[in-house]
Amino acid sequence: MSDFTYLSSSDDDDNYNYSDYKQHEDEDDDEDEEELHDGFENDDDDEWNTSSSSSSSQVITKESLLAAQREDLRRVMDMLNLSEQHARTLLIHHRWDVQKVLAVLVEKGKDRLYAEAGVTVLDRKCLTSQSSSEVTCIICMEDISVEEVTEMDCGHCFCNNCWTEHFIVKINEGQSRRIRCMAHKCHAVCDEAVIRNLVSARDPDLAERFERFLLESYIEDNRMVKWCPSVPHCGNAIRVEDDQYCEVECTCGKQFCFGCSSEAHSPCSCLMWELWTKKCKDESETVNWMTAHTKPCPKCHKPVEKNGGCNLVSCICGQPFCWLCGGATGRDHTWTSISGHSCGRYKEDQNQKAERAKRDLYRYMHYHNRYKAHIDSFKLESKLKESTQNKISILEGKDTTLRDFSWVTNGLYRLFRSRRVLSYSYAFAYYMFGDDLFRDEMTKAEREIKQNLFEDQQQQLESNVEKLSKYLGENYELYDKGKVMEIRMQVINLSVITDKLCKKMYECIENDLLGSLQLATHNIAPYKSKGVEKASEFPIWSTKANIADSHDLTHNTKIDGVTVESNGPSGTQNNESGSSTRKHTNNGSGGSSKKQRADYESGCSTRKRGRREPHGDGLFDLNLPAEVLDKS
Amino acid sequence: MVDYARVQKELVECNRDKDISGVSIELDNGDDLSHLSGRITGPIASPYEGGIFQIDIRLPGGYPFEPPKMQFITKVWHPNISSQNGAICLDILKDQWSPALTLKTALLSLQALLSSPEPDDPQDAVVAQQYLRDYPTFVGTARYWTDTFAKRASVGTEEKVQKLVEMGFPEVLVRKTLDIVGGDENLALEKLCTG
Repeated sequence: MSDFTYLSSSDDDDNYNYSDYKQHEDEDDDEDEEELHDGFENDDDDEWNTSSSSSSSQVITKESLLAAQREDLRRVMDMLNLSEQHARTLLIHHRWDVQKVLAVLVEKGKDRLYAEAGVTVLDRKCLTSQSSSEVTCIICMEDISVEEVTEMDCGHCFCNNCWTEHFIVKINEGQSRRIRCMAHKCHAVCDEAVIRNLVSARDPDLAERFERFLLESYIEDNRMVKWCPSVPHCGNAIRVEDDQYCEVECTCGKQFCFGCSSEAHSPCSCLMWELWTKKCKDESETVNWMTAHTKPCPKCHKPVEKNGGCNLVSCICGQPFCWLCGGATGRDHTWTSISGHSCGRYKEDQNQKAERAKRDLYRYMHYHNRYKAHIDSFKLESKLKESTQNKISILEGKDTTLRDFSWVTNGLYRLFRSRRVLSYSYAFAYYMFGDDLFRDEMTKAEREIKQNLFEDQQQQLESNVEKLSKYLGENYELYDKGKVMEIRMQVINLSVITDKLCKKMYECIENDLLGSLQLATHNIAPYKSKGVEKASEFPIWSTKANIADSHDLTHNTKIDGVTVESNGPSGTQNNESGSSTRKHTNNGSGGSSKKQRADYESGCSTRKRGRREPHGDGLFDLNLPAEVLDKS
Repeated sequence: MVDYARVQKELVECNRDKDISGVSIELDNGDDLSHLSGRITGPIASPYEGGIFQIDIRLPGGYPFEPPKMQFITKVWHPNISSQNGAICLDILKDQWSPALTLKTALLSLQALLSSPEPDDPQDAVVAQQYLRDYPTFVGTARYWTDTFAKRASVGTEEKVQKLVEMGFPEVLVRKTLDIVGGDENLALEKLCTG
């Protein structure tokens, strides 16, 4: 990110968003420890209903749309000392990309920036002081009294009736976002306030529509904002901070890929996912198989599969026919010839075709079966959620020394997330190592090496996920304490391992597989230990004072002592022993831990796309419920 | 609703100096102010010199806030005008229209377009190709078309008018009809008879 963020960071909550985002990312690194802690001591961190208050994405509701827009407006207004409407015109012209506005400003200067966007800033605000009380409006060619005319910033003056007429035509044409002056070759964009006033006097409904168009421009003309794809539509939009390749969850509960607005599908790229769903839907492979393996009966036209024997085939309807040419025959035949029938022999060619179709189909089936299996497991395991709650309450009633069962819920969530990753990884592999997308990207040998590498990781992940599933499925509520402790250890360990394996697999995909592509560019959403990120509510407040307040708020809540964060990448990975090596970090050490993380991130970041450098200290706790933060 | 007061004024304004400007506008269909007929003289030093070009003008309901619809009636060989149907490719008749423009200015722009074609943004690809690749042939064709379609078949026009007037048709109408059909006496008669 450019310097601009620094400039502006003080007056909006960009800073705040970013540090949260950072933290979330960093979570990946620390997750392994945290799991341990969660397992051991964390009393209240109940992930079932943790509403993540902080994320790199935000939900923009109808109500907060104005505030969200204003945030960007204010940045430009402050930077260039502009009025709101001029800032809006600039931003609409540059698709709400504040950085772009800045870049153009630096590159071409203020005048060009304004001229291109149609912004006219007058130093002097004087109406063409005409001595007469009437002016001729050159549109309607009438003489109009001075009170009935309006002069725009560009200096062009027409009668109010004509202006109104012009605005109405333009709004109806859907051009609300850039209504230009009526004068020929004048590119100035008309003053919003004038439009609002004049149109609402004639047609209040239309004025309202104009208002909405302006507001929604923030969503529709903006690369970083998208409507939530929920059906029926929840009315929300999601804004991401700096990475369009991500997966988000709207407050309505809909999870989706920000890139393509379909369901969250990493580690598949959007294109892969699109192809995959299409393939699964139209079952084209089944059709291929049928063409390769069956022939329609000449009488009843049902597809008939040959299950052995000679080339004289009988359909279930009784009709015999020649397998070679599909023509109907008589009943008598010998091993070498079918009576009353002979056909040419272009068998070779057909066999080859059939072979190919068969191979393709088997390949697809291989991947699809596994993809489906994990999806099915995922569905089955979702039922564990309820039974687990029951188990926990039984255990709680049984033994008072075992009080903390967050390891169960955490383990369960890890299982869900890993299942997801696993199932999509098969769709990914189908395209990564198939001919559809990357036939020319790598040689056969390269492909084989890469495939082996990937499949090793995939298998490791798979076996650990299955183990985790097994332990979580056990009826541990009936066991004695020792055995429960044992299962707990296993679950905690496996959770950590699967998380790590998932992360590793994503890294492999991003760096070794997709990262080395020459011809095509495929980007995937980064791995999030915590699953698809919940977009936070867009705060309606956005002043400095409020941010300061919420800082304090965070302090307090943290000191209340529930959420504990640990850091330090060294020496804490002792998973086997399970011994707690965590350090209690109070808020005071937050700064240094941030730094370490930043080092870590810059040192071995696996992401190809640029990330913002951290700035400011993020004191926001990831586990703080949104309500606490939003209270201002 | 078309702003008829303005259209009236435009007509007067435009026709006041039509001899100098070379553009004029007439009512095309009785009293209907939304359907007009424009006429421009071919610009000097262009292959269109000497021709008179008839343009069909229809005013949409939103005029002058929406652009007028204009189309050549007279056949023209020009990169930005369809040789088939006379459709015009000119920015001010589309998105660059401004209510501050008038029918007269639009016609003047058309006249300017005749003298300086823009083959890079063609309406008629065939003509544009010829313009770019074989300019002399283009000029020849354009001139031929002008002579054939845009000149009131100078030979004997007055005779034809005379003849038709004698059949009992008003002279103004006769001249106009002859104009529309490109000087063909029989076609004009047919048109006059059918009304």
